[in-house]
Amino acid sequence: MMSRCQVFLRSSIGKKLLMALTGLFLIGFLVAHLAGNLTLFVDADGGAMAVYAQKLADLGPLLWIAEVGLFVLFVVHLGLGMRAAMENREARPARYKDTAPKGGRSPASVTMIATGVVILLFLIVHLIDFRLVDGLFAHPEPATLAKVVVERLSSPLGAAIYFFGMVALGVHLWHAFQSALQTLGLRHPAYDKSIKCVGAVLAVGVAGLFAAFPVLCLIYKGDWPWS
Amino acid sequence: MSAGHDDHGSGGLDLTLHIWRQESSEAQGRFETYPLHDVSPDMSFLEMLDVLNEQLVREGREPVEFDHDCREGICGSCGVMINGQAHGPDRETATCQLHMRRFKSGETIFIEPFRARAFPVLRDLVVDRSAFDRIMSKGGFVSVNTGAARDANSILIPKENADLAMDAAACIGCGACVAACPNAAAMLFVGAKISHLGLLPQGRPERSRRVLAMVAQMDAEGFGNCGNIYECEAACPKAISVENIARLNRDYLIASATERPPTASGGGA
Amino acid sequence: MQTTSKSPSDLFTRATTSRLDSKCPTGPMAERWDKHRFELKLVNPANKRKFHALVVGSGLAGASAAASLAELGYQVSVFSIHDSPRRAHSIAAQGGINAAKNYPNDGDSVRRLFYDTVKGGDFRARESNVHRLAQVSNAIIDQCVAQGVPFAREYGGLLDNRSFGGAQVSRTFYARGQTGQQLLLGAYQSLMRQVGLGKVTLHARHEMLDLVVVDGVARGIVTRDVVSGEIESHAGDAVLLCTGGYGNVFYLSTNAKKSNVTAAWRAHKRGALFANPCFTQIHPTCIPVSGSHQSKLTLMSESLRNDGRVWVPAKKGDSRSADQIPESERDYYLERRYPSFGNLVPRDIASRAAKQMVDDGRGVGGNGMSVFLDFRDAIQREGADKIRERYGNLFQMYERITADDPYRIPMRIYPAVHYTMGGLWVDYNLESTVPGLFVLGEANFSDHGANRLGASALMQGLADGYFVIPYTIGAHFAGRKLPKVSTDHEAFREAEAAVRARVGKLLATDGRRTVDQFHRQLGLVMWDHCGMGRNESGLLAALDKIRGLREEFHADVRVLGENESVNMSLENAGRVADYFELAELMVIDALHRRESCGGHFREEYQTEEGEARRDDENFCYVAAWEHAASGSGSGGAPRWSLHSEPLTFEEVKLTQRSYK
Repeated sequence: MMSRCQVFLRSSIGKKLLMALTGLFLIGFLVAHLAGNLTLFVDADGGAMAVYAQKLADLGPLLWIAEVGLFVLFVVHLGLGMRAAMENREARPARYKDTAPKGGRSPASVTMIATGVVILLFLIVHLIDFRLVDGLFAHPEPATLAKVVVERLSSPLGAAIYFFGMVALGVHLWHAFQSALQTLGLRHPAYDKSIKCVGAVLAVGVAGLFAAFPVLCLIYKGDWPWS
Repeated sequence: MSAGHDDHGSGGLDLTLHIWRQESSEAQGRFETYPLHDVSPDMSFLEMLDVLNEQLVREGREPVEFDHDCREGICGSCGVMINGQAHGPDRETATCQLHMRRFKSGETIFIEPFRARAFPVLRDLVVDRSAFDRIMSKGGFVSVNTGAARDANSILIPKENADLAMDAAACIGCGACVAACPNAAAMLFVGAKISHLGLLPQGRPERSRRVLAMVAQMDAEGFGNCGNIYECEAACPKAISVENIARLNRDYLIASATERPPTASGGGA
Repeated sequence: MQTTSKSPSDLFTRATTSRLDSKCPTGPMAERWDKHRFELKLVNPANKRKFHALVVGSGLAGASAAASLAELGYQVSVFSIHDSPRRAHSIAAQGGINAAKNYPNDGDSVRRLFYDTVKGGDFRARESNVHRLAQVSNAIIDQCVAQGVPFAREYGGLLDNRSFGGAQVSRTFYARGQTGQQLLLGAYQSLMRQVGLGKVTLHARHEMLDLVVVDGVARGIVTRDVVSGEIESHAGDAVLLCTGGYGNVFYLSTNAKKSNVTAAWRAHKRGALFANPCFTQIHPTCIPVSGSHQSKLTLMSESLRNDGRVWVPAKKGDSRSADQIPESERDYYLERRYPSFGNLVPRDIASRAAKQMVDDGRGVGGNGMSVFLDFRDAIQREGADKIRERYGNLFQMYERITADDPYRIPMRIYPAVHYTMGGLWVDYNLESTVPGLFVLGEANFSDHGANRLGASALMQGLADGYFVIPYTIGAHFAGRKLPKVSTDHEAFREAEAAVRARVGKLLATDGRRTVDQFHRQLGLVMWDHCGMGRNESGLLAALDKIRGLREEFHADVRVLGENESVNMSLENAGRVADYFELAELMVIDALHRRESCGGHFREEYQTEEGEARRDDENFCYVAAWEHAASGSGSGGAPRWSLHSEPLTFEEVKLTQRSYK
């Protein structure tokens, strides 16, 4: 006899619900991450970002817990996504010769797996660039963080990786937010428009602001005209 | 029976049909090509297939098998993929209601069966959709025996709920939602029944049991997972809304959290 | 070609002793059903699971009967030719279901529904049966609502009613234009519940091809699995035929393509009498034929006649488009001929009038085979939005099929075969002349007489399944000795062999013409001579044509493929073979009934105004036909003998219908 939790987590809807929840938490993380990163633009010498990074470092064990938590969320989200993708392939062993949409799908909704994979690859690069520079068990030095970031993002290759990584993120988010709410059953004709709107603002806002980093770094090399 | 009214131009259509032929579930299928000439634009799509079959039989070739019955869009028997679209290009239209005036002369049409692991092909365009019946047998009903009902007007149902239930109950069980879904999921079919019965007071007592049992069977049948792509709603000949899927998700979550475990005294499923 | 039959009376024999015992209870009409139910034997609850009922068909009658019997504890097997029981053609009924609830407080009652149904059937139905139907009508609505059927409601949450088919009270319950669908889904869901509980065994994609009678009692059926081709025997203690009507004998009808007479016909040939086969209903508002490719006809709900006006050009052969014909040159013939009922006259009258216009050369459309149903005045009076609200989905369906916009151009309609009042003869217990063989719904002949009123077919199917058979089948189980019979019995082997032989013969014929070609030809003969208007010479000619065509069919049909696979032309060929025999009986029945009543209009028997003239003195009976195993039909001994069940009218006085 499976426990109630096992039954739930093995069901198609249970898996999707967990995916939706982890996805929403990850969106929350992205927003926080973005807010912190914006300190880069406060001054040209990276002082603001150093203060922010130092504050994070000062959290000590809490930061570790947060990082492990984030890692688990990500792994669960990714694992469920991969599993669903595999099951979905099995659910249609013989493919159609060709399919043509009848109007339900959007470019974002049918490419969730593809954008997800791109985001995963991006994330590996991103972690190597900024999180693992001093090894897994040491956080990067707060004082020089801004310099490292600008250096990495002002190279054409670096800027391109970060820019396109963010495009993939934007496309993923375009579908993600309203899809998560649909999966959680939070839907009502009175709020459908608002939910779509919030989803779009999140996708464009988060991914757009993140994408601004490589663009601005490439142009100004850390020498912000406004500071 | 002389030829009918001629208000829609004289020209018949010349078509090239590529139709999936498969002798049995086990056999290997393939596309075969059939040219068809002078197709009246007033024909329905199935009548066009009738004409092809008559031609094939006269030539001594076995006709193309396809499911069909009422030919007025309500029985849910018919349904094929036409150029990659479940029930063809028109919205809110079953294959039998699609008319040939929708096509142009010279056009090539690919006709395939609805494909899903849970819908094995029996022959040509005929698929086995009994998975839907098995899902229904697990909970798609109100447990009321004949004769046990009280007066119909003693149950008051707000018009809005009755209308929403009717919208969901309009499902014809054709399987286009599964066929059109990139993941071959059956959530729209199940969601429609969960909504129909869950929105009505008569269906409330069994709401939790119903959703748990139907989803368990749906998963056991091997349908895919819903990715909220909404192609099902677009392909549905009755325009069943994906809002019903949200209701299914919600009911499932609540039921999973609150359903009491079965006890020896018969407290649960 | 056969030799022409000389006289109608040579075509059949009259049975010297009638085998018909209607078992109708006596006493006050309102108490008969209760009295009868009390007198019926009961089956001990512990014994119920020992009895096995075989239910053929899964429409309203079949699904409701199977679910109800399983709930009582009987073992039930259900056979459906469809991939799912939910596909049965009950699903296509649009308008609604009648019940004597009198919720609108407009004077309805069981007695009034009974009265209207007897009169609407032109006094050719049994009073006791019709009264029972009216009595249980209310329980049907209660049952369906309890199942979750989403009937239309008012804002206060109460059920909404509408008036339908010219009824003077609002007694019709409806679920948009999909009442049949919702009622069937209710019954189907109850059935699937029993399947889930293991009380009902479901055999989908199985076609019944013979009835097995052991020691004079129906004890089983032979089926063909239409996927694997396997011929299977199923034994039981009772057989319930819930297989619908035979309108597809006309090829073009509003019936679904798979609706057929085969199960009923096989039972007929095993001894069940077939009653009133010529009583067919032609529905006045259907979308006309558009070409030779036409495979079926689509009904437009009768409710359209509430706002649409029916007309044709006053002049013959007027080929102008509708908007070019001035008011003075239009003939609103229903309003002219029936001033008090106008466009709302009953179905048989509206249909016949349309035919007369077309025969008169005043039909419209490319082939002159339709009449206008015009909403111009209603749209001017109430606005297009109001009309859209009422009939939007029908207008859309019409436009999809014809590509004409009915908001601008009048609809074109023409009558089409819709329902068959005739069917296997049953007694008050719904039992046929073969003991243990019960017939429910459209497949029996019982409640609609010579014409069915709108919204009463759904009522009858569910009445039979939910509220009649659960009681009356008990009398069979408890009252008869039913020794165990296995499918090894000689009778099963004989029936199986007969089925194999029929299937084999169809596949081996190797002719030149397709099944549909023959079916179309047969349909045309039936439509021309045994359709809306019938006369002796036409019917005699039809008889010869049918017999000739039947012989050609058996010599020249081409059925490709094999038995051991999905083979729909093979399925169809078997059905068409049976239609040829049924068609002959229909024509003989129409020939013998020298009167006009309901859907049966004999042109020789009409009043000076061209209305039907009933002959109560000579024809106030049910004509039930017995198939003679030895009769050859053509030339030799007649194939059928006639048994008649006299009809007595104690409550409703015999009167001529008038809608002037």
